[in-house]
Parts: sequence; C-alpha cells; structure tokens
Amino acid sequence: MKVRFWGVRGSFPVPGADTNRYGGNTSCVEVRVDGGPLIVIDAGTGIRKLGKELMQGEFGEGKGTAHLLVSHTHWDHIQGLPFFAPIYQRGNRLHVYARQRDTHLRMVFASQTDAPYFPVPFDAAQADISYRELIEGARFEIGPVRVSCTRLNHPWIAMAYRLDYDGASVAYVTDTAPFRDILIEQEFIRTPPRPGDPLKPDDAAKLAAMRDGVVKLCEGADLVIYDTQFTPEEYAQRTHWGHSTADDAIEIALSAGAKKLALFHYDPTRTDADVDRILSDCRVRTRGLEVIASAEGMELTVGKTRPSREMQIISPIEVRKWK
Amino acid sequence: MEVTFYGVRGSIPAPGPDTNRYGGNTSCVALRTAGGALVILDAGTGMVPLGRALLAGDFGKGKGVAAVFVSHAHWDHIQGFPFFAPVFIPGNRFMVYGPGRSSTMLEGILEGQMNPHFSPLHTMRNLGATIELAAVDAADDGEFIESGLLVRGHLNPHGATTALAYRIEEEGRVLVYASDAGYPATGPSEATLALYADADVLIHDCTYTPEDRAQRMERGFSSIADAADCAVRARVKHLVMTHYDQDYTDDMVDALAARCRQILDDKGGSQIALTAAREGMTLKV
Repeated sequence: MKVRFWGVRGSFPVPGADTNRYGGNTSCVEVRVDGGPLIVIDAGTGIRKLGKELMQGEFGEGKGTAHLLVSHTHWDHIQGLPFFAPIYQRGNRLHVYARQRDTHLRMVFASQTDAPYFPVPFDAAQADISYRELIEGARFEIGPVRVSCTRLNHPWIAMAYRLDYDGASVAYVTDTAPFRDILIEQEFIRTPPRPGDPLKPDDAAKLAAMRDGVVKLCEGADLVIYDTQFTPEEYAQRTHWGHSTADDAIEIALSAGAKKLALFHYDPTRTDADVDRILSDCRVRTRGLEVIASAEGMELTVGKTRPSREMQIISPIEVRKWK
Repeated sequence: MEVTFYGVRGSIPAPGPDTNRYGGNTSCVALRTAGGALVILDAGTGMVPLGRALLAGDFGKGKGVAAVFVSHAHWDHIQGFPFFAPVFIPGNRFMVYGPGRSSTMLEGILEGQMNPHFSPLHTMRNLGATIELAAVDAADDGEFIESGLLVRGHLNPHGATTALAYRIEEEGRVLVYASDAGYPATGPSEATLALYADADVLIHDCTYTPEDRAQRMERGFSSIADAADCAVRARVKHLVMTHYDQDYTDDMVDALAARCRQILDDKGGSQIALTAAREGMTLKV
C-alpha cells in the first residue's frame, strides 16, 4: 500500500515561504494498492495538484475511477473538489463517501458551488459522481481494500477511516478533539470548558466509547495519520474547536499498538520550523512508536511484506448507496 | 491614500515554493485613507495575515473600525472573512459593502459560508464583532460616502455573473479597484471606462496571458491586454496587475508583467506606470 500526502494543513490554506517544506495546502491523502482502484481521503486544496497529475493518465481520457472518503464537510476538507480536474472529464467515475446527515450528501456538495459562490455549477461536472452515505461504524469494501470507520469528537461530527489491504493498514484520524474534556456534537459551544473541568456522566460515557472506537480503529495499524493541529497551550484555550495535540496522537497510537504515527492537519500558524520542533520533541517520548511529520509530496510504502490478518470487526456493515 | 496588498491570487490559494515572491493568497487589499481610516478591498485568504497584523493595534483591543468592500461573492473574494481574527473580538465594528439588491441578500451570502455543514461558526451571529451590511445598488449609480471617501460602484461582466468595481476618491486622488472583469470581445463599456477615467491608480484583474484568456473566455477574467487597453483608453496614470491564475508561477508572473509593459507601450501608454502586485507591497496613491 502506498500513501502520498497532497495537503497536510488544517483550517485554511497557508501560502508563503514559511510553509514550503511541509506545505500549505489543506487536507488530502492518496492511497494506492497494487491492482486496486485509487482511493483519496479528503478533498482540501491539495486535491487540485493530484487532479492535475491524474489528468496525465487514464483520467485525462475519461477512463479513471476514484473513491473519495470524506472525513467531514468543513471547508478545509472539501474546498479543492471544484478544482479537481477529473470531475470535468466525461467518462470518469468518482464515488464519494461521507457520514449520513439529514441533508443529502449530494446537496451539501452541490451547494458549495451554488451561485453566487462559484462560477461553475456542480452539474457542469461531466464525470459520473455517486454518493454513499455512511453510518457510524460502517464497514465496506473498495475493490480489494477493506474500509471501516468510526466517529470523532468534532463540531458537526467527523469520521475516521481505516484501510486494510493484504496485511497492511492505514488509519486516518482527523478532525478530532481528545476524548476527555468536552463532547462536541451538533451544537455551537459558546463557553468552552478548561482542560480538567468535570464532565457530565452521560458525556463521559459517550467520550469513553468514542475513544474505544478510535483505539480499535488504529489497533496494530502500520500507519496512523492523526490530527495534531494544536500545541497544548492552544488546546487549553480552544477545547471546543475539535482538534488534538501531538501528545494526544501519541497517546492513542501507543494505546492502539500502532507502528508509525504521522502528525497531520497542522494549524495554519505553524511554520516549518515549528513542525520540526514539535516532531523532535515527540521523538524523545514515544517508546518505540515511530513518529513522522507528514509533508506535501511525501510518499510512504506501508506494510508491504507483512502477512495478512483479519481486520477488527467494529460493527455490522451498512452502506446506503445513493445516486 | 495608501494601499497594501495581502492577496493577489485568483480562484484558489496557491501555496508552494513557486509562489513565494508574489504570494499565493486570494484577493485582499488594505486601503489606509489620508484621514487614517481602514478600508479592506475583498476578503480572500489574504485577509487572514491582514487580521493578524491588525491585532497589534486597536483591533486587538476591540476598538477597531473598518469598512470592507466586496467585489462579488465568489469564494476567493470572501473565504478569508471567517478566519479574520478581528471579527472574533467584541467591540470591533465592520461595515461591509457588496453587490446585491438588499443588505439582507448580502447577509445571506456571508451567512451561507458559515453554514454548519461547512464551518464550525454556524452563523455570523457567533462572531464577536459588530457587523453591518450595505448592498451597493449599481443600478442606482452605486454612489456612497464611507470613511471620508467618495465611492462609486459599477458592475462589470464576470462570466455568467457580475463583479463590482469600485472608484474611490479622496482629496482629488482616485483609486480604482477592478478585480474579476471579463469584458465582451468588443471590450469594456463606456460606463466602465468612465469609472476608470483618469485614475491615479487602477488595480485591475490580470488573470491571464492573452492566449489563456482566448481559451477561457467564458470564465470572465481579463488578460494583461484587456487591462492595458483599459488603462490607455481611460488615461490612467498607474496600472497595478492582480488576481493571477493559480497555476502561474512567480517566473510566469514576471513574464506577464514584462509583456504587459510591452503591450502598454505598443498601445501608446508608455507614460503609464506599471506594477505587478505582490503580497506585502505598499503603494501610495
């Protein structure tokens, strides 16, 4: 399994000399397996350059198929899609997966490019685009790749995904707050708690279950890509924003017995030098877990030589297909 | 008047080493009036670093006041607003002008980008600052007074839609901001040229080379030739290029500027000064 990073930034794209090395584009990760279809996770601005590259191959001839797993529909995870060239080429197929909502997924995506916000209506996309709405805990297959998902602690709720193929596994866990100080769901939170403030018992139980789901999703994974937007000081001020620190990511990865952790979804204020510092600080404290900092253009080969093993069963399969 | 550029890119932010010199942020220009007021032209991602810079002054204390002139509601002209730090600080006041038949309509447009599907803010009402909105009705001359400036808005064609160009006058000095202008093959209208007439500085859409423009007419952007044509015909003193295509590297923008100089000279505009806007650049009007 090959993993390539096209966008590693959170909140909004950050051009400038300070972000040249890790990159300023918002979230987008490409996953490839031998003989399997292309899988893309999230459609932040990084997907634009992926699209340009894809158009050099079969997508340029209208013969490409891609599967797009969307963590959630906040701007930084979908804003690149209208600039993803393959969707304007007749014959290409795009399957979009995201968590089920009361509003149909297609409507959510289409409204991104409604007048007056965008010059090209979503209907102008000539590719065949289908939508699959997922319930929390759904399991399904994309060709030879087994996919599972679990919910995260983020405003309006995000989904984490795990991909398993031929004994190799990757978990993509963003965006999420840690599972200890606040339960974040649909409501706007005006006054956030401070870290360590007592939780309501119901919330504590929900968060514990959510954390279990995430640990299970990451269990034994060869690679865990995790939301590390904040420093601990930033987190203390913004517990309700739904983002974690590198410490939180390490804690989950260690609990899950993961092999490698990729820091991801950097705060827009984070310079390359800041990321270097955070990474070297992590490496001091990780008891055998390998920690890397994801960067635009970085390509990783995951678990090539491992024997296959059964994936953790998280909950019954349910995939609702829409067209 | 003095203008500082914070975002000069069109369509979508373009991070990367290839855009370091001109910058990859989408449209945003800060105008400081002779009287000391702040007017922000467009609210692309360039508005984010502007907001950070403003926190050092009155806006950091909740005592800031600014006007925002929005050309139109395409993402690259409004997407910086929900990340503009001063809007989260109670006490700051913003007067937002933009196209629309009513201020309610304009409000609806800004609300739309904060819809909970897309943004954790849910609604503009969750921003701490006071935000007032005023629709600029170009059909009714589009004239208004703001921060001691006499302002006139005019709708330019922009693909399937339109974008407001603003003529801004203070103490006999004239600045025109005309982003996203896609004139028909016959060129700009008389009304457009009247808006630009004798401007000291014309900040104009220069998205494309003439060749790229010819391939993408329906997108409604100008080429450097369109911008040069306007500058010459409207007897402008200084043409400033902006809104570069997201795929143009710094070297390509260098070449674009050199070619624009040549086109100006060929059209009899050798006396017109030319600048390719870049992030961080300040110009006096």
